Amino acid sequence: MAEGALNYDPSKNYDDQTCAQQRDIEKAIADEQPLVSDILSFDELKTEYQDDEIFKLKIDDLKGRYKHMRKTRGDGNCFFRAFGFAYLEQLLNNNTDFPRFKEIASKSKDELVALGFPQFTIEDFHETFMEVIEKVEKKCTNEEFYQLYTDQGISDYFVVYLRLIVSGHLQKEEDFFIHFVEGGRTVKEFCNQEVEPMHKESDHIHITALTAALGVNIRVEYMDRGDTPKCNQHDFPDGSRPSVYLLYRPSHYDILYP
Amino acid sequence: MAGKRIKKELIDFQIDPPAGCSAGPVGDDIFHWQAMIQGPPDSPYDGGAFKLSVHFPTDYPFKPPKIAFTTKIYHPNINSNGNICLDILRSQWSPALTVSKVLLSITSLLTDPNPDDPLVPEIARAYKTDRCLYNKSAHDWTLKYAS
Repeated sequence: MAEGALNYDPSKNYDDQTCAQQRDIEKAIADEQPLVSDILSFDELKTEYQDDEIFKLKIDDLKGRYKHMRKTRGDGNCFFRAFGFAYLEQLLNNNTDFPRFKEIASKSKDELVALGFPQFTIEDFHETFMEVIEKVEKKCTNEEFYQLYTDQGISDYFVVYLRLIVSGHLQKEEDFFIHFVEGGRTVKEFCNQEVEPMHKESDHIHITALTAALGVNIRVEYMDRGDTPKCNQHDFPDGSRPSVYLLYRPSHYDILYP
Repeated sequence: MAGKRIKKELIDFQIDPPAGCSAGPVGDDIFHWQAMIQGPPDSPYDGGAFKLSVHFPTDYPFKPPKIAFTTKIYHPNINSNGNICLDILRSQWSPALTVSKVLLSITSLLTDPNPDDPLVPEIARAYKTDRCLYNKSAHDWTLKYAS
């Protein structure tokens, strides 16, 4: 066998080594990036792209249309984390949509249990989900909300429950979503592999399902390497009036403030 | 939050234990349980009682519990260290799962091994090419180590 070739040693636990490495990477990211950052200016974003004329033009485009932004941690949960923060913060400042949202949030538990999700864990996550929502209902301060939502345990519980809502919606509307699932998988398999586990990145299908399940419209500004000077916008659902604005850079979502 | 969730899970497990399974903490440490699975009747593991160790990580339920057989078992997806090759204990772990669900999946794995993703290639080969030999070996090991 050539030197340096892969040698499989059955007595070694490769899986443990992979997990340990994975943990080291996650820890490094967690040490560097807060779950949700303070408010940042677009000039701060520009410092990441000193030598990148295309991205600098696109940031100028954003600057003309948005006031500022917040970054979220790049841990694979960024879409859910960003959405939850942006929407709840908005409810905190303007609660007209609150009764509608709270009713959907309250009912979601029984719907998920009816779809066959394990009652015990659904209740556990739902409880924390509602606690966060009720804090917003009682008009905590923006600072208190920030502290609550950036508590790792609470924030992750919130993200898990949003993932479960998406999984539930995809399975409920299986006949429609099966056309968007790649790799010959069933919708349930897709949910088990790409939606329910933490740290799995979100795609159009996740966003479509979340906006439909909660009735909250999202606009995503796509900042990519395409050589147009503007970001591409996409509204979920198509043609709707957005209430949450997110910035997408390849593999990552942050929050925008119009 | 891990301790609170594990305590809830323990109560839930005691109220409604999955068929053929038992589990509970070892001593005072809520993060370390011992579990037992009875060999399913429609499998060569019938009549055996298999012990497993369950270790919860500090960031449970965001990371899966570490579960391993401490009783020796002849199975294509379980190696001599008791490590189990099961998707929900790795990449497909979801925080909505519980130890109870995982033990049920392990019980199903005893009835229906997955020889196409083996941890012990020799046993997978026996399972695929000489089912009688596989059944006999699995049964012999069950009598020897798990009865």
